[in-house]
Amino acid sequence: MQRVRFKFLMVCMAVTAAFIIVSLAVSARGQESQNGQQSLVVPLYNPYPPGILPPDLTQELERVRREVRFIESEAIAEWRALGPITYTGQPPIIKGNGYQAVRTLGKLMNYDENISVSKNVACASCHMPYAGFSGPIPSVNLTMSAYPGSFQFRAGKRTPQRYTYSPDFPVLEYNKTQGAFFGGNFWDSRATGYKLQSPDAHQSQGPPVDTQEHGFPDTACIVFRLSKAVYRPLFEQIWGGDSFDIAFPADTERICATPGGAAIFGSDTQPVKLSPEDRTRSDNDYDHWAQSISFFERGDDVSPFSSKFDAFLNNKYTLTPDEQAGYDLFRGKANCNSCHLDGRSTAPTPPPPQGTMPNGIDTGAAASTRPLFTCFGSANLGLPLNPRDAFFYQTIPDPFGFTPNPLGFGYRDLGLGTFLRSGFGTWANPNADWIQFAPASDGRMQVSTARDVALTPPMCPTTEAPGPYFQKAFFHNGYIKSLKQLVHFYNTRDVYPFPVTSGHCPAGTTEKVDCWPMPEVPATVDGTIGMLGLTDHEEDQIVRFLQTLTDGFTTPYPDSFLYTGLCMAGGSAKTQGNEFLIPTPPLPPCASAVCGVPPLPTPPIP
Amino acid sequence: MNKSLLTLAIAAMLWNLLPPHAAGAQLLSPANKAQRVKITKGPELEIASDYLTIIRWTTTNPGGADEHYGVVQYGTDPKDLNQTAKTSIRLNRGHPETVFRVRILGLKPRTTYYYTVTSMESGGESDGEKSSVNKFTTPGPGERIIADPAPPVPKPK
Repeated sequence: MQRVRFKFLMVCMAVTAAFIIVSLAVSARGQESQNGQQSLVVPLYNPYPPGILPPDLTQELERVRREVRFIESEAIAEWRALGPITYTGQPPIIKGNGYQAVRTLGKLMNYDENISVSKNVACASCHMPYAGFSGPIPSVNLTMSAYPGSFQFRAGKRTPQRYTYSPDFPVLEYNKTQGAFFGGNFWDSRATGYKLQSPDAHQSQGPPVDTQEHGFPDTACIVFRLSKAVYRPLFEQIWGGDSFDIAFPADTERICATPGGAAIFGSDTQPVKLSPEDRTRSDNDYDHWAQSISFFERGDDVSPFSSKFDAFLNNKYTLTPDEQAGYDLFRGKANCNSCHLDGRSTAPTPPPPQGTMPNGIDTGAAASTRPLFTCFGSANLGLPLNPRDAFFYQTIPDPFGFTPNPLGFGYRDLGLGTFLRSGFGTWANPNADWIQFAPASDGRMQVSTARDVALTPPMCPTTEAPGPYFQKAFFHNGYIKSLKQLVHFYNTRDVYPFPVTSGHCPAGTTEKVDCWPMPEVPATVDGTIGMLGLTDHEEDQIVRFLQTLTDGFTTPYPDSFLYTGLCMAGGSAKTQGNEFLIPTPPLPPCASAVCGVPPLPTPPIP
Repeated sequence: MNKSLLTLAIAAMLWNLLPPHAAGAQLLSPANKAQRVKITKGPELEIASDYLTIIRWTTTNPGGADEHYGVVQYGTDPKDLNQTAKTSIRLNRGHPETVFRVRILGLKPRTTYYYTVTSMESGGESDGEKSSVNKFTTPGPGERIIADPAPPVPKPK
């Protein structure tokens, strides 16, 4: 009987899937017609050895495009349903539906494929809701980790960070009392938020003009494309009717269809020639782009505080024994909440012998009703170099004369340290006082919120093999492929250390199980983790707890059901993805463009 | 590849926008600095190989800045500890004790090293506690010394 029910369920689900896929296809065609333009045909860039690009990459990129267009059509419908937008009073406020209006505009922009050089990549293309707004393609997460951009197949250098709760990160500051950096967005915290006072908004200004992402050569291109968008009236209603009173030159579309970094541009970062007044207007529009997207990300479409843990804090959910045990480990033996702050355990207690002054023990009372599970800081966890990262292979010029990574495997990802030096492949550091802290910051990456680390499409309800599971990539370089591996890494990095690179663990050992290759940046590896003394079962319990941080428990997570790809199944979470490990080639010394920029790394990075 | 791909069904859902939540990120002020920090366990060798050596010790929670450094001064002459290694750790304000672990790379094999340990806030202010001089001997090439007693970490199956 159960088998019959299962078959019936599967048939129903298959019919539903077929219906949705057809709907998406129709939606996709409609969007193309609406745009009135096809994507430009440009020669491919494929510097990769066989096996680096996953074989289903083209189909998967198309699959994500269909999903993105569907959600864009959803956003258009939400816009149409907004009602009148009316400013009232002084200061002027959009009364009643102001929140909804700005967030809808942000959503429209976030899912707009026209905001890319080849009109084929939206912000969401690398950040889909069913992955917690991280990478949506399992095979990419399993292999190249960095996502292909608009000009295929240039690719970035790191995994796409989750949007969730990113607007809550404060403006990057060096806290002299703490002696550490806090805040910013991006893995290397380079989106400081210094002008807009929002690192998240600042962040959203990066990918559109990143040579390996959306690929525009000039921020004015985003404004130009917005001026052609179907939702332009909404932008003008919110940000001003004269927002697009800009005299774009006749060659603007041609320039904006040419990928950034193209030799034709030389060192010109503003190839769209605007008058000073129009450039100012364009810059202001780009700020409004950023603010609108950030407000969307702050809203309940992205950051809703709707997890089991939130229900637990509100006394509306009781953690299961394993979840509770995992939580106790998270804030106890495993010490996870030293960085991933859980909003508890901070209440002061009396001096000994009654208490443990000056530092409190958990009183069971929530110190925060919306803990973010991050300290907003950064740390070098000691991850090995991931030789599958697509960035390492982009060493030859593309058809436009641009070479994404002339350093090849001489590149080392120093994260925050390289940003503080205004070094290779990052942004300029806007605060010269910080340069002195670069050596101590080498290899540090942002402490992400632990919220939604386990979020997957409901039809692939876990990140963990044997599943059915949705393959994600964890940490900045995607080296870790399951939460079990993630916790095991924290637990045993220093129990099974070997002086090898990935793919070269000694015979008789298994990489990620009882062999951890050496860190990419060894000098500054954090000592909080590495030998936690957790048992195998305790590791599993922490994974159980991490899964309680997935939004969508108290209210469904918007658009998380829209995944139209495949789940994976089989194997073990301990060795998940190990069949795709490749031997790291002999590494040349760290390139001078990275490790030779003063103040030099101390001690030197090999 | 021992995996099989499953095709599972999907369903589309549209959800109303929900009420927004409050904004604003806040950093915690540093915890109160402890009046006196005491080493309660160690220092001791956690692991030593021809690649990596780790010295660890436990103190009462020093408080102060959340980020601290464990510092090991070491050398082959107990009267001349002329080398320094330091490793950052992050305090847990809810824990009465703090474990410091310092990583040392590139030691010579089969060599006795002498060392002392101390700790400081990330800004450089000392926690005021320093161990006496201890020693350890590194293993030979390809050998490995694990802390005795070994930490309770079973080898995963």
